[in-house]
Amino acid sequence: MADEKMLTGCSAAAQALKLAEVEVICSYPIRPYTAIMMELAKMVANGELDAEFVHGEGEHAQLSVVLGASACGARAVTGSAGVGVTYAFELYSPLAGGRYPVQMTIADRTLDPPGDFGSEHTDAMSVRDQGWIIGWASTPQEVFDNTLMGYRIGEDPRIMLPQMTCQDGYFISHIPDKVKVASLSQVKEFLPPYSAPHPISTTCPVSHGPQIRPDQGAPMDAQRAETFLELPGVIKEATKDFNRIFGRNYDPFLEKYRLEDAEIAFFIQGAHSNTCRMAVDALRKQGVKAGMSRLRWVRPWPTTEIAESLGHVKAIGTIETSTSYGGAMRGGNLIHELRASLYDLDERPLTTSFMAGLGGETVWLEDFEFMAKVLLQTVKDKRTSKYVYWIGFED
Amino acid sequence: MSKKLPEFGKINVPHDRSVPFGAITPAPVHQQDLFKTSNWRIVRPVIDNDKCTRCLTCYIACPDSCWSFNDEEEVMEWNAGFCKGCQICIHECPSDALSAVPELDFADGVDRLEKPF
Repeated sequence: MADEKMLTGCSAAAQALKLAEVEVICSYPIRPYTAIMMELAKMVANGELDAEFVHGEGEHAQLSVVLGASACGARAVTGSAGVGVTYAFELYSPLAGGRYPVQMTIADRTLDPPGDFGSEHTDAMSVRDQGWIIGWASTPQEVFDNTLMGYRIGEDPRIMLPQMTCQDGYFISHIPDKVKVASLSQVKEFLPPYSAPHPISTTCPVSHGPQIRPDQGAPMDAQRAETFLELPGVIKEATKDFNRIFGRNYDPFLEKYRLEDAEIAFFIQGAHSNTCRMAVDALRKQGVKAGMSRLRWVRPWPTTEIAESLGHVKAIGTIETSTSYGGAMRGGNLIHELRASLYDLDERPLTTSFMAGLGGETVWLEDFEFMAKVLLQTVKDKRTSKYVYWIGFED
Repeated sequence: MSKKLPEFGKINVPHDRSVPFGAITPAPVHQQDLFKTSNWRIVRPVIDNDKCTRCLTCYIACPDSCWSFNDEEEVMEWNAGFCKGCQICIHECPSDALSAVPELDFADGVDRLEKPF
């Protein structure tokens, strides 16, 4: 049923959005995500996709437009990269708090300065506390799949939250790979039409986004947090359905690669996991029991799944690809939450972090070999000697 | 894994404190009583009906539509639930019929001092 094509991550996202029959699209150019909007614009112009294509005057406007569209009951999509993601910042909390399940498709780009075009996760990672569902794909196929899964999870009546479906700029967004493009009937079986619970309408007028009182703020925050307690269950359900209908084999939260008997493990998200898998295989050939755990959704963070699947590993290193200047470990973000997830185990794995793939740099096989050496030394020493290693800048 | 991991537990927001889904509410025909916004008022405008000429300048000037004309009694009426005490009406009134009086001078003054938000 599925049609296999060579597609870049951007094309894969556009194909999935077409099959999801998005009704309102709001664009504003910034590379590398722009190619998604270019493809969608072509589809609309050629009559392949019946959607309203709006040119925003900036990213803040883009998110405002999709908020309005979603409030009216339309399935809406927008997207951005790098500083575009941060320019839109004001809208992230209102979109999540107002419960508009729009999708923002991201192809990462470094933030300024210095206007580096390369991929880095810091742009979308900075939105992680705003109440969105956020996750990274590791192949164009997964971009396609996460786009559909994002809408299914976000539009679930129990959830109603916006989603950020991310892919690494260039590594995924601009390198073609084989993608099984699903049929419309498969997509329709998986993804029901979007139904807004209280759409703006002339026959039944409603107010969206009113001023609330300070004593209503705390219960509203608590109600939003409650949704995140329910979210993992809905992600599990949606992933199970997705695997059944599309013939895939996704774990809802973590890809576990050769982890069962692993002594050292890499903890990673996004594109560099492809090299990481090769590094694990190469290390295994040398007799090193290495494994990889790849994060599929950073929000909601899979605390329990991490504790359950990584507890037996002796040393874990995170590959950060995003910055948290001045944070607890003075490096990236993943290490903080990884450590927090493992803290309550009787016997905790030793952990450290590797700053790699920043500014769009490739994380090479040799870099993973270096990280493995550090992790093996950590196991030998039975202690973590450094919180963070800056790859390329270590002795 | 020997020890039982902590749980996330449940969050119990009592019904009387829960906020409508996404704070979306039926559209008010006249005013939105679910979300009153007058509790940051320090002074309120008090009208002198002898000076008032019913010119409706206050009705036009108020950014929150808190002044309306009562047809039966032929006086201007003030809405205490949404007036934020900005005093634009006092400033704009051409006949000096409005004056700012501190909230604490009223028995029903906003209780911000007793219950600071």
